[in-house]
This record gives sequence, structure tokens and C-alpha cells, in this order.
Amino acid sequence: MPKCTINGKQIEVAEGTTVIEAFMKLEQNIAHYCWHPGLSVAGVCRMCMVKVEGNPKLQIACNTKVTEGMVASNEDAKVKEAVEWILGFHLINHPLDCPICDQAGECGLQEYYMTYGKYDPAMAEKKVKKKKVVDLGPTVVLDSERCILCDRCVRFTSEVTKTNELSIFNRGDHAEVGVYQERPLNNNYSYNVVDICPVGALTSKDFRFKQRVWYLKDFNTICNGCSTGCNVKAYYNENGFYRIKPVYNKEVNGHWMCDTGRDMYKFVNLEKRQTSAVKNVNGTSEEYSPIQATREIGVLLRKNVNEAAAVLTGQYTSEEYASFFATMKDFGIKDFYHWVNNPEKMEEFDGLLLRGDRNPNTAGLRAEAKKANINLRNAKDLDPKKHTLIIVAGPEVQAFYPDLQKSVDAWSKSQTLVWLSSCKNPVLFAAHWIVPMKSFVEKNGTFVNYKGIEQKIKKGTTIVGEALSLDEFAIAIKGERVDVEYTSPLGGLA
Amino acid sequence: MEVKLLTEHYDKDEFQGISGYKKLGGYEVLKKALKMKPEEIVAEVKAAGLRGRGGAGFPTGMKWTFLPNNGQPRYLLCNADEGEPCTFKDRMMMERAPHQMIEGMIISAYGIQSKKSYVYIRGEYTYAARVLENAIKEAYQAGYLGENILGSGFTHHLDVYRGAGAYICGEETGMISSLEGKKGQPKLKPPFPAVSGYLEKPTIVNNVETLAAVKYIIRDGAAAYKKHGTEKSPGTKLFSLSGDIRKPGNYEVPLGYPLKDLINNEGGGLKQGRSLKAVIPGGTSAPVLTAEEAMKATMDYECLAQMGTMLGSGAITVIDDSRCMVDLLGVILHFYHHESCGQCTPCREGTGWIDKVLNSIIHGRGRQQDVDLLDQVAKNMMGRTICALADAAALPTISFVNKFRDEFEYYIREGRSKVKGSSYAEMHH
Repeated sequence: MPKCTINGKQIEVAEGTTVIEAFMKLEQNIAHYCWHPGLSVAGVCRMCMVKVEGNPKLQIACNTKVTEGMVASNEDAKVKEAVEWILGFHLINHPLDCPICDQAGECGLQEYYMTYGKYDPAMAEKKVKKKKVVDLGPTVVLDSERCILCDRCVRFTSEVTKTNELSIFNRGDHAEVGVYQERPLNNNYSYNVVDICPVGALTSKDFRFKQRVWYLKDFNTICNGCSTGCNVKAYYNENGFYRIKPVYNKEVNGHWMCDTGRDMYKFVNLEKRQTSAVKNVNGTSEEYSPIQATREIGVLLRKNVNEAAAVLTGQYTSEEYASFFATMKDFGIKDFYHWVNNPEKMEEFDGLLLRGDRNPNTAGLRAEAKKANINLRNAKDLDPKKHTLIIVAGPEVQAFYPDLQKSVDAWSKSQTLVWLSSCKNPVLFAAHWIVPMKSFVEKNGTFVNYKGIEQKIKKGTTIVGEALSLDEFAIAIKGERVDVEYTSPLGGLA
Repeated sequence: MEVKLLTEHYDKDEFQGISGYKKLGGYEVLKKALKMKPEEIVAEVKAAGLRGRGGAGFPTGMKWTFLPNNGQPRYLLCNADEGEPCTFKDRMMMERAPHQMIEGMIISAYGIQSKKSYVYIRGEYTYAARVLENAIKEAYQAGYLGENILGSGFTHHLDVYRGAGAYICGEETGMISSLEGKKGQPKLKPPFPAVSGYLEKPTIVNNVETLAAVKYIIRDGAAAYKKHGTEKSPGTKLFSLSGDIRKPGNYEVPLGYPLKDLINNEGGGLKQGRSLKAVIPGGTSAPVLTAEEAMKATMDYECLAQMGTMLGSGAITVIDDSRCMVDLLGVILHFYHHESCGQCTPCREGTGWIDKVLNSIIHGRGRQQDVDLLDQVAKNMMGRTICALADAAALPTISFVNKFRDEFEYYIREGRSKVKGSSYAEMHH
């Protein structure tokens, strides 16, 4: 365990720790582009220069291991001058097109320019011309002129996904990132290269030109795309959600997330949402306020207690399940079913993060059922003719449930089918009641992932003001008063 | 005076084939070496003070002792990717005396206990590669290569690998990448090749001339070898003499030989009516010497280091007063710009930047501040990259600009070269 001094601060680190890692541990600023904690060391951007006492040459912190008694600093005037020049080298052939660049506002070049920047371009000669708007595949676009050849994306595809779609072609200042002929960047982790690109070279087809990043707010939550439960940051403003990015969690997802999870914001925005409760009778639909609808469902439930059943999906929080089970038991409901997506694919795993169980809280559902002494039966065994009333806590991400239509049609043979859903879907009109539910970004709670790790999801904003959570539904169905808390998309309580 | 140690039989055509080579004492040293203990070979090379002849001048014996004793297979790579502009000694050695190098390699491989070696040869050296391939075949047939060499129990295999023309593959880790089938780009150090090189196994990379010299150290003993040259730079060295000189060519002289004598005696002096302007003493990446400095220089590692330049690969480029230093630097930097592998930002961007500024000056578009800019850009590339290519571009730039500043300023001010009749200047005006 060598001890070292970084910018005058002492720290003891594990054997084999690099100087840049020691800087990070001490939360000392150190400029870097090519180094990434989730990838191997490339040592090419040369930004992380440090002065190591006893060594006349400046060293790169990323490829220098801490040794006992080492004294390293990047506050030295010599280091600052070196970094300033190296940043200058990065910028001489950069197009400086920030006003039209999607990365503006979260760009590494901009960030260090503010710290080290020289305020006049030093090169009078013409810049190197490279390819613009290169289509790398279904998800990512490349602008080679903006690229600083840090090699992060190439290392990502070779070390993490091991798909090796990307490479650096040509050499010297003509070098460009690219894909091999007819082998596009097309893997389920491709958006990570956009995240790790420190500049505006790789941009996301899904996000580019949709919104300036400084108009977005964000909060940390848990991805609801599968039972891994990747830690993510969700970005939104008053017009809705725009993107999801991974947040480092050593125990769960490391630095990455899959492209499937990136889509999860799409199911929470207003255009996809069920905004009010609907009663479908004899081919006509009638709109209700969700609370009012729930109360009427409560009245029906009381009349059908012995023949009623509840179907649950692993897409709600543990707190919601607890409250829902308690209420249903109060009513005297005995039949509970567990509905999963593709039962035969539940145990699948892609080797990185994505799991076949596309529900964020299957483990939580099972745990809460056990606590409440409830035997969850397989939804395949549900006979609608035996039940006069069925309440389905439906999936938020309906796309993961290939048997959605089949199930709605089958279960609507019951006298009353109540469907709780955050998303609208014409398929659901076979149900007799539809009650709008909150999405995962609109509520607090706990998801338990496949490994049993409990993770909190956080309410970021409100998109559908009247939508209920499952626990609010459980209160309203008893006829009790529910205070639906509304958070303005602009932040704070409205 | 030339001392023909390595080049003794280079004027005889028969020295190329195995029968002629054997007639002239070939493979006798190998027999002697195989009777020695491997560690005795290493000790002898160390005692001889042999320094790498490829450019960096690192002590060969010391390099060999960096190999870890961890039971992993070891590789010996012969660096025959002679790419430093104006260097052509390895080519001659391989074309004239392939067995000399092969014998040196087998002895060295025995010393470091390597069972497999490669000659990484510059792609353009097609003739040398053919000669080498043929010589290796002959050596296998004669039992000097393969299993159980001469009944000694030592096994060694040798193959030739041809490069594809990139200068950077002459850098030892760039060569290793290329040999591994990857893009020829230098690797981060540490780890050094002696610890983790080819296929992440302990690897020694030595120049053609270095390996050939090993044969003579074992033949004559370290003490005899050290009689040549100076105390700190022992032995002989092949110098590739070129430029504005009457008798360009390769000359073997003891280290410490005066540069003046090399130019005037071996090189036959300058052309009629010309005076010396400058000399590049160690390949184009070595800082240039003014005529005055060149007259005082001796060709050994210490003297040249003291003068702020280096022995490098031993390529001496003589520049007379008919040459424009701006044009010359333009040619040199165009080369390094073209050859930068592009990994490290300071080199990738810096070589291109200097090349463009020089191009602007040569085309009459130079700005007054460009002279200082060239110096600054070069200084900020130095020592900031994975390999020495950035230094190789920066060193000539800094020395040319500072030692011949008047020519740069004149070119910028007047829009043309200070030297009348300079080829570039005439091409553009």
C-alpha cells in the first residue's frame, strides 16, 4: 500500500494504482481525454501530464503507477504550460463549430478551453479536411473533423462489447475513426460510445438536434428496462424526457448500459400516455377522473370479492406491491397471478447487462407477496370465466410483453376487466376499465434487481398530473381520500 | 583511417553465400559460442560496452539483462527496418554479408536463450530480403539453424518478416505491433519489451549492426573489441556518408573518429568550389551541426551528445553552401508529418503544423512570427509522446531554426530563399 503526495495532499493507495486514479480519489482536477476508468490505458491524448519529483520529464498520470513516497503535482507552472500546449494541439484542426455541435455544453474541449484555453487560434494554415456526417450504423453519427482520436470508442468495441466494429484508419493527422465496409456499428451497447466520446465526434441519432443540453434538468434513477437495474440519469425539461445515460455503479452496471434501456424514456412522455380513466361499455367510451373511476371499481370489487383476481407484473415498486397486497387482502381477495414477459426467455442474459426478465422488480414482487403470505400463481393458468372481476397491474413497457393483445382479449372475457396502465394502447380498449398509472420517473420507491440489490428510484417530475401509483390506487379503491402530489416539470412542487 | 572489422570481406562477392562465408572463417565463432555458457556470452557483450547501433545507443548487454527469469519463452527481433532518412548501412550488411548477421543472431539468441527470432526487414529492401531468405535456407541446411544446432542441444529458428513501408515500424514497440499483425503503432512503456514484448513475452530488439558486432566480440573477446574506439564508445561503427560529398557510401571507422577526417578523407571532401555549411551527424532526426561545430566533432556518443546532437543511426548528411536550410527542413518535416502514426496528439498535430508553416514560408506566405512559432511548436512536442518520433521531428526543427535563423527570416521577408540556385526556391519562383 504505497503512500504518495498528490498536489500536497497525502493518500495511501492500493498497489498498482495509477497516478490519475490517485488524483481521482483525492478529487483533484486532472485534465484527460483518452483515459477512462472502464477501459484500458491508451496514453495518447497526453493531457494528464504531471510533474513527478525526481523525474526531469513530465509524465502522463494514466500510465504511471504510484510508488512509495511519490510526490506528484499538476499545479506546477511547467505542467500548466504543457497542458495548455497539448490542448492547443487538440484544437488546431478542430472545426470550432460549437454553435452547431450537439456536444456543446458538455464537451471536453470546451471545458478545458475555459481552464487552459488560449484565446487566439495559433495556426494560420488551413485545417485538415475530414469526413463529416458519417453514418456509422443505426444509432451513431460521426464527425471526423471534431474527433480528437482519443481511441475510447475503439477500445470500447474491442474490450467491452468485443464486437470490434470501430477502428482508426489511416495515420498521422489524416487518421479517422471508422467502421469496416458493410460492418456497421450495430450492437446493443452502441450508445455508450456517444457517452464516452469526450467531444462532439460521435453523436446519438436519437438525441442529436432535439435539445440543447443546458435546457435539460436531470436526476439519478434506476432503469426499468430489465431486472439488472442499471443506475441511470434521466434528462428532461418541461416538454418531457429526452435521454437516459448510465451512472457508474460498481455492483450493478459498471460504467455502461444497453441501448434497450436508453429507450425507456420514450414510454413516459405525454404522447404515449394514458391521461385519464376510461370506462368502455357496449362499444362506447366514457372518461372519468382516475380517482372517481377507482372508487367505482372499488364498489364493484366489494360485490365480487369471492370471484375477483389480481394480476401483477414486475414493473412496480416494492412499496406499491406492499400497499396493494394489503388492500386486496382487506377486501378478501384470494387469487393473485404473476404475469411475465416471454416466460421461456426469463433466464436469458446477453453476457453484459441485459437480462431476459424485462421487469425491473420481479424479485421485489415475489418478496412482497411472500411477506403478505400470498401465493402468486402463473398468469397462464388464469381462467377468466372463473373470475367476475380481474384487476391487472399492467406493464409500463408494453413492448416487452408480446402476449399483451392475446392476454387483454382473453381476460376481457371476464365480466369486468380493470387495466392499470401508464401507456395508452388501442389494444387495451377490450378492457372494461382503464386507469392511468404513473411511470417510473414520476414516483419514489424501490426496485429489487435480479441479484437482490435494493435500489431506490426517484421522482423527477410529473408528466400526467392525475395518474396514480399502485399504492394510490390501493387507497382510492377503498374509497379513501388520496392526495396526489404534483411536481412541476420545471422542478419543485406546483 | 577505416578499420575493417565487420566489413573486412564486404568487397568479396563470395561472402554472400554460405560456402564463401565459411571459407572466410564463417560460423567458426558460432562453434566457439556454443561451447561457452549463455551467461558468458552476455557478460562478454556487457564487458565490450557495445551500444545499440540503430539510433538510441542503449548498451546492448544491459538490455539483455533486463529479461526476467520467469520461464517464459523469449524472442529476439532483429531490427532491419532501416528507415531513418540517409541511412543505408544495414541494407549493405544484409546484401553483402547475410550470414554474418545470422551468425551474430544465433550467438545472441544463444546468449539470451531464445528459441525463436525474426528479422523485421524494411519492405522496400526486396533484394536484401531475398538474399536473407536464401541465406537462412542455407544456414538451416548446414545445421546452423533448427533443432539441436551442431549437437549443442540449443535450438533456434529464424524467420524473415517484411514490413510494409512505415517509418514508425522501426521503433521497437511499433515493430512488435506490426509483427503481431496489428497496425504498426508504438506501445506504451512501461512495460518495456524485455519484460512484455512480442505476444506479451520477453523480447529483445537489436539492430542489424549490433547483432553482427556480437560475433566479433565473441570472436576476439571484449578486451580486443574495446581496443577500437574510445573508452566510453568502444568498437567500430558503420557510417552512411551522403549529401554534398565526392565519395558517398558506407565507411567503417572506430568510434571517436573525427568527423572532419571522415568527410575529407573517406568522403573525398566537398565538391569543387563549395564550402561546408552544415552536417547532420546521425540521420535526419539528429540536430544539425554548423560547419564550425562539425569540424570539431568526433563521431562518438559522448562528443555528439555534448554538442547537443546524437550519433543516431550513423547517417552523416553533408550540406554545402548551395543548399537552402529552409527547403531542407521542409523536406525533412514533410517526411515526419507523413510518417507520424497519429496516436499522440502533440506529434499528430505538431508534425503537420510545422510542415504546413514551412510550406507557407517556402511558398512566400510566411509570417514574421513563424520563426518563433516553429521553435515553440517543436519544443512543446518534445518528450510529450509515447515514442521518439515527435522528438525526431522537433530536434531538426529547433536546431535548424536556431542555428540558421537568418535564412528563415530572409525567406519570410523576401519571399524567396537566401541561397541562389536552391532547387526548391527555383521550383516555386
